[in-house]
Amino acid sequence: MMALCVVAAGIGLAWLALILGALVYKGTAGLSLAVFTEMTPPPGEAGGLLNAIAGSLLMTIIAVVVGTPIGVLAGTYMAEYGRFSRITTVVRFINDILLSAPSIIIGLFVYELMVRPMGHFSAIAGAVALAILVIPVVVRTTEDMLNLVPNALREAGAAIGAPRWVVIRSVAYRAALSGIVTGILLAIARISGETAPLLFTALNNQFWSSNINAPMASLPVTIFQFALSPYEEWQQLAWTGALIITLTVLGLSILARSLTGRREDR
Amino acid sequence: MLSPDMTMAETVVEKTKIEVKNLNFYYGQSKALKDISLSLPERSVTAFIGPSGCGKSTLLRVFNRIYELYPKQTAEGQVLLDGKNILDRSQDLNLLRTKIGMVFQKPTPFPMSIYENIAFGVRLYENLGKSEMDGRVEQALKRAALWSEVKDKLNASGLSLSGGQQQRLCIARTVAVKPEVILLDEPASALDPLSTAKIEELIDELQADYTIVIVTHNMQQAARVSRQTAFMYLGELVEFDRTEKIFTSPREKRTQDYITGRFG
Repeated sequence: MMALCVVAAGIGLAWLALILGALVYKGTAGLSLAVFTEMTPPPGEAGGLLNAIAGSLLMTIIAVVVGTPIGVLAGTYMAEYGRFSRITTVVRFINDILLSAPSIIIGLFVYELMVRPMGHFSAIAGAVALAILVIPVVVRTTEDMLNLVPNALREAGAAIGAPRWVVIRSVAYRAALSGIVTGILLAIARISGETAPLLFTALNNQFWSSNINAPMASLPVTIFQFALSPYEEWQQLAWTGALIITLTVLGLSILARSLTGRREDR
Repeated sequence: MLSPDMTMAETVVEKTKIEVKNLNFYYGQSKALKDISLSLPERSVTAFIGPSGCGKSTLLRVFNRIYELYPKQTAEGQVLLDGKNILDRSQDLNLLRTKIGMVFQKPTPFPMSIYENIAFGVRLYENLGKSEMDGRVEQALKRAALWSEVKDKLNASGLSLSGGQQQRLCIARTVAVKPEVILLDEPASALDPLSTAKIEELIDELQADYTIVIVTHNMQQAARVSRQTAFMYLGELVEFDRTEKIFTSPREKRTQDYITGRFG
């Protein structure tokens, strides 16, 4: 029995090691300063990923800025004001569905909602699609983390005459802070590799663009396009881009873990 | 069950701080307090004793209406604080809770510094300058016999203190907002004997300025700290009298059985 388990674990780990190995091996080969300073090149020429990295950063930031407050406030409603109400049960159920909805559906939804009426692809549509992916993750973690705050602490806050919202802001949020931040970091990690929702919304852009009303490049979509191309320079950039995303997600996960760890230490 | 002369003839000279009249309490459909009436004199310690589930904590939680944080808990009847019914709908809950403070069974320091734990409550209703606030924090910590232990680390987290210190921090926090009544819900049951002794000493000192109500499982503790004791059983107030009377010559057989350890 144990041998079977070890073999199964070994098989699982082996694939992961192979993928990571290939990624690091092929990705680092193309890693240079140019990757971060030059635009995506036309076929057959040297270049970098600057516009894709910047596009990904910008859309991620907008998505987080839009999605986080909505997610945190909704989670706060569910854990604090609406803890005993039926609406909360319904919202939690729907949120869980949204949490596991294929991201391509979100992409198509935003395509119908924004791209079609506007008549063109745009970075803002991409950011909205990503924000919709951020919200359920943040809602879930915020609710879970606030539910972990002992009721005794809320009672203690109320018992010195603090109004409900002060107890939430100054006591419950503070006690749950690292958990909520972890949720936000995990949401960023989730959207930073998403390709499908961006294909239908932000599309891609060969050039530098900071206009959120126009198509914009992003790392995942650029990787998708370059990896499928017959050009060697593009394929190399795709490997490098993939490595950059992987390292970013790794960094975010480590940060998230260290934050949760610190909370448990206390 | 309660004879009419139970309104404590001996202490009638004292001013009544809290008077409970025909109080019933429900958790959903189930009745947890049955027609409770008693009056608590000002600036003295009253203990509520009785076996688990007798309703002593429930009664305490009516006094600051903290039960209203949860749905389906309802109280009917009257609880008069200085003659004014606090169960009245028009009663401002937050204001009520600044007048009637509460310390809980498990220490509940807020996730902030020792200083902030105390300043937090003060700041809600008073606009003090830095030095005034410093003074208030020091005074509260001294009142709770914690000052000498924490004066050099006021910026340390309240959670870094020991259990007994945390509980005294909670008492300091409660005292700092200048309440009139302090409710103690088994304040020492999670503490070691030494910390318990300190808390009891503190209760003894605090009764000079505050009306104190303490719920306790520990009968020796009730005997040590309180002036009058209420014995409750199955949601009823069985007997309420001077503490030495309850523990030496109780009127009711059930009280006698409980204090001699025959049940509970």
